[in-house]
Amino acid sequence: MTDTVQAGRRKFFDLARPSRQHLLGYILIAPAVLMVAAIIVWPLILAIDLSFQQVKIPRLGGASRPFSLSNYVWLFSSQEFWLACWVTVKLVVVVTAGSVAVGLSTALLVNNRFEGRTVARLGMALPWAVPEIIAVVIFAWMFDTSFGLFGWLAIKLGSTDQMIPWVSSSTAAFWAVAITMVWKGFPFVSIMCLAGLQSIPSDYYAAAKVDGANTFQRFRWITMPLLMPVLGVTLVLTLLWVFRDFSIIKVLTGGGPLRSTQTLSIMTYDQAFQYHNFGRAAAVGVLTLVICIIASVLMLGRRSKSIY
Amino acid sequence: MRRTLAQSLALYATVIFTLVMILFPVYWLLVTALSTTDELYRLPPTFWPDNPQWDVFARVWAAKPILLWLWNSMLAAVGSVALSMLVSVSAGYALSRYSMRGGATMGLFVLTAKMLPATLLVIPLFSIFSSFGLIGSLWTLVLAHSTMIIPFATWMLKGYFDTIPKELEQAAMVDGCSPIGAMVRVVLPIATPGLAATALYAFVLSWADYAYARTFLVNSPDNWTANLGITTMQGEYVTYWNDIAAASVFIALPIIAIYLFLERYLVGGLTAGAEK
Repeated sequence: MTDTVQAGRRKFFDLARPSRQHLLGYILIAPAVLMVAAIIVWPLILAIDLSFQQVKIPRLGGASRPFSLSNYVWLFSSQEFWLACWVTVKLVVVVTAGSVAVGLSTALLVNNRFEGRTVARLGMALPWAVPEIIAVVIFAWMFDTSFGLFGWLAIKLGSTDQMIPWVSSSTAAFWAVAITMVWKGFPFVSIMCLAGLQSIPSDYYAAAKVDGANTFQRFRWITMPLLMPVLGVTLVLTLLWVFRDFSIIKVLTGGGPLRSTQTLSIMTYDQAFQYHNFGRAAAVGVLTLVICIIASVLMLGRRSKSIY
Repeated sequence: MRRTLAQSLALYATVIFTLVMILFPVYWLLVTALSTTDELYRLPPTFWPDNPQWDVFARVWAAKPILLWLWNSMLAAVGSVALSMLVSVSAGYALSRYSMRGGATMGLFVLTAKMLPATLLVIPLFSIFSSFGLIGSLWTLVLAHSTMIIPFATWMLKGYFDTIPKELEQAAMVDGCSPIGAMVRVVLPIATPGLAATALYAFVLSWADYAYARTFLVNSPDNWTANLGITTMQGEYVTYWNDIAAASVFIALPIIAIYLFLERYLVGGLTAGAEK
């Protein structure tokens, strides 16, 4: 009698039993869910809540202000917000296009068979391993107004007759940020495209050759279609990176001059930690997140699964 | 495919030209470190210093607490990677092996978490950390970096576990292993390359952070990370570019070394989700 009860009890805790399998799954996933709830979901809810309160510096547990749309009203009626949107769009388009152009061509280049291509591949993607802040240090010096290499090069090439004021000119500052970001961002595209290229079976090319397709036709009708899924995901990931980047712009230009390089990300941060308008900052941040989600769903559609 | 001599030459010329263009900024960092101040503030620029100042590295190492900064970066990275891996490994395993209600929701959540701007999350985290009195402590970075690492690590690890056949654990369980035992003794050893790739990639993510460090630690110089420390070397009036460049070399070196020697693992992690 006792034996059967004990056997029954042991069975109850026996996680190998098929009916207990689900339970084990939930136990294994619980720590991650709890962590994510504590450090991502809860803060995110706080942020959304904050964006609907007129609050300068929030204290946790302090009395919450009444629900108000004033932050959003302020945003939509302020020139600063629309300027930040415009700067973000410009930067996203320029940097994503630049990164994809350089990344795809370098990937195609090192996809060729040649002596020493392992080293060439390592070299091509090296900027990926340079921390963003260090990249900024290098480019800040190369874009130095008085003694920077780029200004000197521009004079040498005859496009200008004096040093370019990278810090005080809006256009120059924008391009300084864009060039730095492309240098830091293209290796990721290159790495992803190379992985995509390598997964295309070489038989396809051989067959196309037998059928008399030239190099361009092979690229157009085999490489591009088969690379498209990888390229699509990469494009969206690059776009999201530019959208959310903080360190490159903050350290290189601080968003200036005259807010000409202030993206939504920089605006979010400065509203909170420079002007101490946490409510407004949260509103900008929430809108940025919404725009990011809409943009990637639109671009990937049903393929959005592949992004994770 | 056979190439003519001319084609080979053209290919090599293109590769070398591209490499020189891409790597030039890194070379320039080194040249800047090794130049004298006179050489830096002169046009045309010096492309290789007449008299390389190798002692700049020793000088900067002595003048700035670079070892402390690197140590802090290391602590934050190791802490956040360890914490995240601990929860992500078991969660990734569960998502791969058990069909659970909410599995798809979890996927959607990972997607959203990837889009979360750090500049948004830093706002509520700042109020949370200040009410717990954590501002200025490295623990803030351990937790904040985990917000970046856990979602992607869980999904990446799920992908690795998916490639390991279920039959292995079933065989182990038939031989009397418990489900947990099968996971720890059979699956995890096989998944080691995947675990290493995830951890390495997470380490690089943590090392690269600047936004969180700047917000939480700016008033505690003893806890400055490498990235934060180096930005404080940029003076308001005078910037000693050769010193900053030398310090940058110290800070970039660990990650570049990881990249050069363990590139295979890192790239494996990067592209894991791409080929689906």
